[in-house]
Amino acid sequence: MKKIAVAAIVIAVLIFGAFWLKSDKHFEQQSFLMGTVISEKVYGYNARKASAEAMARIGEIENTMTVNAQGSQAEALNEASGKKSIRLDGDIIEVLETAKKYSSISGGAFDVTVGPLVKAWGISTEHFKIPEKEEIDELLSLVNYNDIYIDSNNGTVRLAREGQAVDLGAIAKGYAADQTIEIYKRWGIKSAYINLGGNVSVLGKKPDGTLWRIGIQNPRAANGKIVGVINIQDKSVVTSGDYERFSEKDNVRYHHILDPHTGYPSGSGLMGATILADSSVAADALSTAVFVLGLEKGIELVESLEGVEAVFITEDKRIYTTSGLKDEFIFDDESKEFQYVQKR
Amino acid sequence: MFKKGDIILILSIALIAAAGYISLKIHNTGGSHRIAVIIQNDSVIKRIDLDKVKRNEKIKIPGKYNETAFVEKGRIRFGHADCPDELCVKAGWLTHPGDMAVCIPNRAIIKIEGYANELDGVAY
Repeated sequence: MKKIAVAAIVIAVLIFGAFWLKSDKHFEQQSFLMGTVISEKVYGYNARKASAEAMARIGEIENTMTVNAQGSQAEALNEASGKKSIRLDGDIIEVLETAKKYSSISGGAFDVTVGPLVKAWGISTEHFKIPEKEEIDELLSLVNYNDIYIDSNNGTVRLAREGQAVDLGAIAKGYAADQTIEIYKRWGIKSAYINLGGNVSVLGKKPDGTLWRIGIQNPRAANGKIVGVINIQDKSVVTSGDYERFSEKDNVRYHHILDPHTGYPSGSGLMGATILADSSVAADALSTAVFVLGLEKGIELVESLEGVEAVFITEDKRIYTTSGLKDEFIFDDESKEFQYVQKR
Repeated sequence: MFKKGDIILILSIALIAAAGYISLKIHNTGGSHRIAVIIQNDSVIKRIDLDKVKRNEKIKIPGKYNETAFVEKGRIRFGHADCPDELCVKAGWLTHPGDMAVCIPNRAIIKIEGYANELDGVAY
């Protein structure tokens, strides 16, 4: 009889164990870093440790890349513009190299040397202002990604002309997301989600084996209201929109994405552009690029790139997707204000 | 071959296992209740079951911006804040799972757990 009791206990332990495994060791948290909210969901053993390391890494990247705090490497580079080349960490050199690559393929629609203009407009500060036309024209002459000279052998970088400045705000979060996913992988995590102020990256599938369901924000509705859904695994989804940060003056809305060719908030006819790609740094840079390029040129650019897809929302509230997303994008507009245009 | 005691033992272990499983399930999904969470500086200030709110309440949120959350049955919001842009207050009432309002200067978040349409997240 004792045997039966022992067997019963063993079975019970096994059942508990199975439920324990099924319930997943998982860790969720929200933090404030890189000037935004970061949400994480990490599943698997070591979830907590992986998450802690990821957050520390994001903090480190922020300290290197920010231009809103003294003492960062980006600030040091800007300070030395036109004077000397300076030694920088591998992180920022990689970001600058990637930035130049996407500047080049987008014909300068994405350009991290918009720094002087970002400052003049007071973007990301409490002191938004509309600069004089003369000031904008003068600062425009400082915008040119070809003036970033990178010597990767010696780890040094130089901005050619005095007054030039990089602003990594349109690419640093993507880099941070990619680094985070690498950290999860190193800890043996198979399933994770990270959202850096709207930039989503996922590792693997969900713990239950299904795809991650990621909503695309409705550009004219409250946070969390969506116009559609994409189901993904091992992908990053990044949106650039006119609604993320904007200021109003005399009933005119000024958003935060500057067109490097005009020096003004881009007026390409888009409310939002969402990019899907394997790497978040690519998605981040490209979302800005296609937002500035507009629908036609944006679609053209995305279709020319392997493994990259996009969703465009135009100011007349139409939604377009690139060919690879035709079946993946699920139109789901609660507001009934948008129209999904199936092209091609 | 089973004694009465064994049967009771086996049944009670099975019951405990089932209870454990059910409680895990409920814990994971949060049931059907809408749970609001107020977070400031990475710590949870308060969790509120919005469906069980009996009377309206104002909850003080720590930090230097004199922020207050308003809670009513089925909804919650930032009611007052002295932060520069007051985006948190402008976010208005939160009513659905996944709704979230954030005050970045004060590192404060009010959110309703879960997501509508069984979403895992939103890109914005």
